[in-house]
Amino acid sequence: MIAPFCFQSVAHLEAPAGLSASSIDGLREAIERAPDDSIFQHVTRILARHPHARDLPGNDFARWVRTALQAPEAAERLAFAGSDPSRPLAEVRAALLAALGGVPARDRRREAAEDATFHFVRARSVRVPLDVEAATPADAVSLWPQLDAAAVFYHLIEAPLRGDVDGSLAAWLRAAGATGLARAAEEEVAEGRPLERFRRELGARWRRSQIGRRVAEKASAPEAERRREATAAMARLADRLREEGEAR
Amino acid sequence: MSEVAAPPGGWLARYESVVGSGTLRALEALARRLRGHRIVMVNTTKTGGGVAEILHRVVVILNELGVPTTWEVMEGDDRFFGVTKRMHNALHGHVEPLTEADKEVFRERTRIEADRLALDGDLIFIHDPQPAGLIEHRRLPGQKWMWRCHIDLSRRDEAYWEFLRPLVAQYDTAIFSHIGFVPPLDLPTYLVPPSIDPFAEKNREMDEDEIESVMDGLGLEGRGPWVTQISRFDRIKDPLGVLEAYRLVRKRRAAARLLLAGGGASDDPEGAEVLAEVRERAKGLSGVTVLELPSGSDREINALQRASTVVLQKSLREGFALTVSEALWKRRAVVASAVGGIPLQVLHERTGLLVHSIEGTALQTIRLLDNPDLRRELGSEGREHVRDNFLHTREVRDYIAAFVSLL
Repeated sequence: MIAPFCFQSVAHLEAPAGLSASSIDGLREAIERAPDDSIFQHVTRILARHPHARDLPGNDFARWVRTALQAPEAAERLAFAGSDPSRPLAEVRAALLAALGGVPARDRRREAAEDATFHFVRARSVRVPLDVEAATPADAVSLWPQLDAAAVFYHLIEAPLRGDVDGSLAAWLRAAGATGLARAAEEEVAEGRPLERFRRELGARWRRSQIGRRVAEKASAPEAERRREATAAMARLADRLREEGEAR
Repeated sequence: MSEVAAPPGGWLARYESVVGSGTLRALEALARRLRGHRIVMVNTTKTGGGVAEILHRVVVILNELGVPTTWEVMEGDDRFFGVTKRMHNALHGHVEPLTEADKEVFRERTRIEADRLALDGDLIFIHDPQPAGLIEHRRLPGQKWMWRCHIDLSRRDEAYWEFLRPLVAQYDTAIFSHIGFVPPLDLPTYLVPPSIDPFAEKNREMDEDEIESVMDGLGLEGRGPWVTQISRFDRIKDPLGVLEAYRLVRKRRAAARLLLAGGGASDDPEGAEVLAEVRERAKGLSGVTVLELPSGSDREINALQRASTVVLQKSLREGFALTVSEALWKRRAVVASAVGGIPLQVLHERTGLLVHSIEGTALQTIRLLDNPDLRRELGSEGREHVRDNFLHTREVRDYIAAFVSLL
């Protein structure tokens, strides 16, 4: 029997990291020296900062290089380097440095205006137990829509990156034998879509994957219970159709 | 400031429709970590100004979350507020003399107020420089003190800062609105952007009839498309640059109308001078309306923003510029300068358009006037961006997290 999964949310406190850059070369040097919390803030946490975006903005480095340095090629490379949120921070840093290493010399010399200097920020995570537990993978699937975006971000992205095994939902699902659910979660994360969208899509994918199990469970229930549930389901469907009709 | 009565069920319940129940549950869970603690907020006014406006909501929300929070107002006489007004200006970058007599006025009033104020919580949250010195007199063992600076200190007058810095250094934590505003400090420092209240008179939903009626009342009915900048008449807001950009727009899109609206002219000699200059310059341009709005014109500002096709914020320098978030919340297409806190709110080509020049302002305004789909797209993303990052619930969450990190 596996221990229940305790859901948590997270608040990220932003703080100055003490580094700044005003050119591509300066950015490269600062990224080399920046703490992991800073790479996390400017790249990985973009998902948590824009959960409802329809189209996720590029990471902070890419946006700064495009708007303050007007260097679109370097911006594209940086944006791509940071586009997989499941990537470990060391790999993200290496990919950013590699992207900057390939920037043509003419772009490296561009200087941002004084007001447009890039100041590095770091994110400190303050975790918050939500008093919500899943005893089984099926519980996790049903609780999923109730979580806030920060909790989704923490359990699927931040906890694995920070090595918090107890906070990693995919690791718990796998340990609970729900390998398919865990794999679906990891695949959705790696696609790097905006958080609310991937939460919805993952929820739908998980629910679909549970249909077989639910049908099997219901099939073994007594006839009277099955009839009662069928009637309730029809009533819910009728309500939904009526509401949709009224909304139209 | 517009007072809004607390709605039945409280402010938090109302926010549920905007941020969702999951976000509120997470906020409640975070607040539980402060169980057994009491917060005292301190500033120098209950009315007028953005800080008081935020505190009116934040104090209520914290109490609704089960974190007992009181609000103390430091009082002062004209001499004290004369000194703190100069301090405020100097910290913003205006050159002001600081005399020994000024320092003594500040210290003396601080001593008096330290005796009077009920600073008996265990988390003391001081807003801005005026009450910063209270910590010297009233810090009790076990108390945690947090200094929240709402001012941009990037162009600070060093004489004033050197006077203030030893006081700030005694705090456990400092909080600033933007990384560009932070001076060198040897204490934990966090960044918490300011936020707006979607239910305030300035931001609440308004139907077309109401917008029209307000526009009628201002004599502006049916004359758009409006390109609008709503800002106090101040040189750093560059109203003359806006007129120049509009002149360029008007050459290519003759139907466009410009509205420059704002306050700050009646009680500020420099504001009156700028307003006069704007009016003079506008005489040579057709399609321009210049409106001086009295304080408390929140309903009018709401309607003007909602009636605008394009909202401008063409500032030369800025603090955080929450007017941008206000416009984005109303799904407006925004063209704004890439200064101060604006780039945090306007993500170029996603939630609005950033510009660096008069020509850029003109070009992007024309682009938006011509393209309703782009306006809709930017407006809709802008609203989501504000929902995620610039509503009071996020600011409260950050404050609680900062306190939790101190315990």
